[in-house]
Amino acid sequence: MAAITPYTYIQCPCSDSSTLGRSSDTNSSRADGADDDDDRTFDPRAPRSNYSLYPLEYLLYCEDCHQIRCPRCVAEEIVTYYCPNCLFEVPSSNLKSEGNRCTRSCFQCPICIGPLAVTSVETKPDPSLLAAPDNTAAPQSGPYALTCSYCNWSSTEVGIKFDKPNGIHAQLSKLRNGGTARLTAKERKERRRDPSYRSSAATEQGDGRSGSDEKLDLETQFANLKSFYQSQLADPNASDGGLAALSDLGFSSPTSLSRIMSIYTGGSLHDKKAKLRVGAIREALEVDEGLQLADLDESAAIAQLHSEGHDGTASTSRLSDQPPNFGEAHLHGRSRFVSELRPIPYLLRTKRSKRCPVCRHIISKPEAKVQTTRFRIRLVAGSYIPSIAIRPLSLSSGSGTSASGSAGIPGALLEPLKPAHYLLTFTNPIFESIKVTLGAPAKTPGRFASKVTVLCPEFEIDANTDVWDEALKDPSGAGELRDRERERERRRHKGEEGGNVSNNNNQLEVGKIWERGRNWVSIVVEVVPAWLRLEHGTEEQRLREDEDLLEIPMFVRVEWEAEAVGDEVGAVVGRDKEAREKRELAYWCVLGLGRIRH
Amino acid sequence: MSAPTGSAPLPHRTVANIRSPPGAGHHQSGPSTPIRHIPSNFGSPSSLRADEEILIIEIGTRKLQVGFSGDPAPRGCVWFCPDQQRRVGDFRDWQTDYRYDWRSAAAGGLWGRDHELWQYDVRGVNLGLVGDKIERALGEAFTKYLLIDSRPRRMVWVLPSALPIPVLSAALDSVFSRFQSPTISLLSSPLALAVGAGVRSALVIDLGWSETVVTSVYEYREVDSKRSIRGGRMLVEHTHKLLAKNLPETQGGPDGKDKYVVSFEECSDITTRMVWCKPRPRSASGQPSSDALATVQEQDEGELEDRPVSRRTGSVTVPIRSWLSPTSLELPFDALAEPCEDAFFESQYSPTSFDDHELPLHLLVYRSLLQLPVDVRALCMSRIIFTGGCSNVLGLRGRIFDEVSHLIQERGWDPVRGKGVDQLRCNPKLRKRDARQAGDGPTGVMSPPGEGEEQDGVWHDAANMIPEIDFIDEQLQRATDRRPRVQGTLRPIESLGAWSGASLVTHLKALAIATIDREGWLQHGAAGASKPSDADYKTQRQSLGPGGLMRGSAAGSAWTLGVWGAT
Repeated sequence: MAAITPYTYIQCPCSDSSTLGRSSDTNSSRADGADDDDDRTFDPRAPRSNYSLYPLEYLLYCEDCHQIRCPRCVAEEIVTYYCPNCLFEVPSSNLKSEGNRCTRSCFQCPICIGPLAVTSVETKPDPSLLAAPDNTAAPQSGPYALTCSYCNWSSTEVGIKFDKPNGIHAQLSKLRNGGTARLTAKERKERRRDPSYRSSAATEQGDGRSGSDEKLDLETQFANLKSFYQSQLADPNASDGGLAALSDLGFSSPTSLSRIMSIYTGGSLHDKKAKLRVGAIREALEVDEGLQLADLDESAAIAQLHSEGHDGTASTSRLSDQPPNFGEAHLHGRSRFVSELRPIPYLLRTKRSKRCPVCRHIISKPEAKVQTTRFRIRLVAGSYIPSIAIRPLSLSSGSGTSASGSAGIPGALLEPLKPAHYLLTFTNPIFESIKVTLGAPAKTPGRFASKVTVLCPEFEIDANTDVWDEALKDPSGAGELRDRERERERRRHKGEEGGNVSNNNNQLEVGKIWERGRNWVSIVVEVVPAWLRLEHGTEEQRLREDEDLLEIPMFVRVEWEAEAVGDEVGAVVGRDKEAREKRELAYWCVLGLGRIRH
Repeated sequence: MSAPTGSAPLPHRTVANIRSPPGAGHHQSGPSTPIRHIPSNFGSPSSLRADEEILIIEIGTRKLQVGFSGDPAPRGCVWFCPDQQRRVGDFRDWQTDYRYDWRSAAAGGLWGRDHELWQYDVRGVNLGLVGDKIERALGEAFTKYLLIDSRPRRMVWVLPSALPIPVLSAALDSVFSRFQSPTISLLSSPLALAVGAGVRSALVIDLGWSETVVTSVYEYREVDSKRSIRGGRMLVEHTHKLLAKNLPETQGGPDGKDKYVVSFEECSDITTRMVWCKPRPRSASGQPSSDALATVQEQDEGELEDRPVSRRTGSVTVPIRSWLSPTSLELPFDALAEPCEDAFFESQYSPTSFDDHELPLHLLVYRSLLQLPVDVRALCMSRIIFTGGCSNVLGLRGRIFDEVSHLIQERGWDPVRGKGVDQLRCNPKLRKRDARQAGDGPTGVMSPPGEGEEQDGVWHDAANMIPEIDFIDEQLQRATDRRPRVQGTLRPIESLGAWSGASLVTHLKALAIATIDREGWLQHGAAGASKPSDADYKTQRQSLGPGGLMRGSAAGSAWTLGVWGAT
């Protein structure tokens, strides 16, 4: 069981059930196992909490709404689409037509997902044989294949070779596994556009016959079906004009009026047009119309399975990495053997800017250029809400018991039923002093309740002024402050080094801050870890994953006074009054302290 | 790659407000009048969404597929798995020394459950969690595969029609509140499958994860649905049984009480990779039965020489990593067909020993065919669509098909069975119906109405009655009069799949019966849905006809959840 470093997770207020969707939804609140009251304790072990907890670094902050914004509650806009492999930008229009994958020559190995390179299939002739100058040019020509430099997979294994070293994506889409060519969508469309294709019945039948023994691939069947349905939908309307169907959408048009009438008169008023239209689609009868009879004979595949064994089959994860292959024989002919895996074109990625969903202000905007990782705007929550650092505190290291001494080492296991102390350091990132109120349940929720005592649940943290501001400001006041601080510093060092000999300061006092700095405050939390022993007869005999983690839910409420950034109207009034605005921010967070020994 | 989107000039509705596009549909129908403006109550409030593409989302128990309407296949597929349920920023999965502690999860009754989005038994389901899972999976699918921003988009969901309302409601809640989509239309997957196969009626055999559902679709309506718990989950559990049986005896895990010795992930993987299904034993089917049967059997004969020998001796090595110590297991190849046999057929037991909820698949299919009215049955049996994850088990589809055709051959369409009936048949004095026994077998449906009367007590009167002139029938007749429909023979057909079917439906601008408005949902929830019969009896009947479009304008007043019912 790996030890962990203490961590903090913050629950974005957006996942409060009260703000989520309909408040009348009794189901979700009941599922939470808690009421919507204020005193509801947040349970970090509830399966739902995994969806609402974020490390501080993942959170953004809207300056105008004064609210935390998590990845779930931001509105995203796409800045650029690019390929993560070649870092080329892809215009959004391409995306619609070409799909979500890189259409250049960027491919991933289907076995090990490493990048594939285009190489010539021709093996280099033995250099000892001939030293003629044209030898060097020879490998450049000839068929090409995609090869993986990591696992040596080559597309020749699935029988795919390319004529040209560029435009691999286009070439690949025309090739089935094994190297047989297939009609591309474009060619098929051209064939469909061919006037003889639909006008004369003779050619239609001829086409159908030629196609009947051929198995439709996914894309062809879809295209056939689509054109079939479209012709069916258009047929009955041919007599009375193009989009008559669209014209009687509302009740304002006469046709639909008559239809309404017919509801009451039992269909006698139905005019011919309506009769023609309703239920006019017949079903597809031919391969050409998209009907594909299933071939249930899979004995060949079974034989292959038998001969190739487990190693010959592709694992589910590899299969799920495969791009949808429109050219494959059919849904049920989906590849399952390693020998059928195709190179994976890289999925495109996006750069996204993020907006506050409420006030529509941009809270994060990356640089549009693909190569840069900088952001133009990025309002991270870390510079608006206090961060919490957790450190084990060895109070009684002087007393010399080895067991409690282990608690002082970061990442060590916590002893059950043995009080341990942790130092929480709150750092204030904003330029106003803030008042922090903490609330934590006396016992952690879950099957194993550890006792938690926050020794100082209410305190104030000074503003995050510039380090030099203090020194440069009023020399007398600041100096005094610095003196005090220096003295505290000295005391702290003494306390740590001297152990409990001079423990006038080291005494844990309820309601007292442990330490204070320029813009930070440390307080002590005492925990008594639970005894992780399951009674016999309980339904579950084992600890669940992470159940030995000591996690404290803590409600943090931050209050501060800020200059009123009044709206345009209020600003005039507010400015001369020097109005201060009281703000508050409240959220649940989870402090992971460590694992309990079991 | 996806040229169909290029040839799809009509993004759902609003575009007609703006310009008149050269729609492919009326292009073909020769000269046509210019398009009139559509009444304003039909247009969406903002024409900015003109180029909006509708998202098609197929939600299953184990995976979620997303894509745009008009595409032949989904662009992305997200599987539900425990890794997905971790906190954001929890990267332990990437640590080299980390392995998912499946044993403790299994001990908590989670073996495989954390790979599921929902359970149909809603008593124990944390509905909020279902919403969270859908939301996260959709978010991942949108950013990773669809590459779309978070502008509100209309969605079409393809759902199993048996989805309980609480689950559906939780899913809708979460998506409406997070993704702000203005409307969500619901399509039932059997229907979408039928559309994706190009037929109006079908027998959809969905070999799904939690259960196998046999749905009869007749003229784009689900008329009957039967289910059995023999599904993918059962198959994986039987595979586990097989592996556990063959692993050395170790008294389970450390404390000896573990029900599971191999992780679900591994079992599931082995199941999808290695498990296959034996063809129907030949001894039982002495004579070649029907034409449809011939395909499989002929093939068998061709390979009879070499295969049985190699099958007996052949063995397969299956590596197992999640056991106490990584090992590899040598299994005879035949053994890998056992799980399939046990999970789906269990032919060693008599048919009477099964409860209604655990019927073997061939019986399930046969019974659901048997229960259908004759005309519906005739159409459905020649349009059998296999779908669902387990239909990828090699040989399973063929086996079910063979078993069913054998059953039909054996029993005909006689719901009454038993010794009494047999005696009746055997006794020449009492035998009145030997004519039927003679040879028509599965094609019994095709028999003239006079005979149908004898076969089937229920339909007794139908033959003598003068048929009413039915408006709908007339139309169906008219629609099909040109070419005869295939009916009465067993015939399997391939469907593009429910997702692609829904993509077609949406692309062709046929609106779903159940279209839910965001505002309406947020106000009333599932309680606001009216019964499908109240809401739009008319439009439901016209399902795929162009008249279905009317539904959109009526959506404001009364809306329905369609087959998903009303509270």
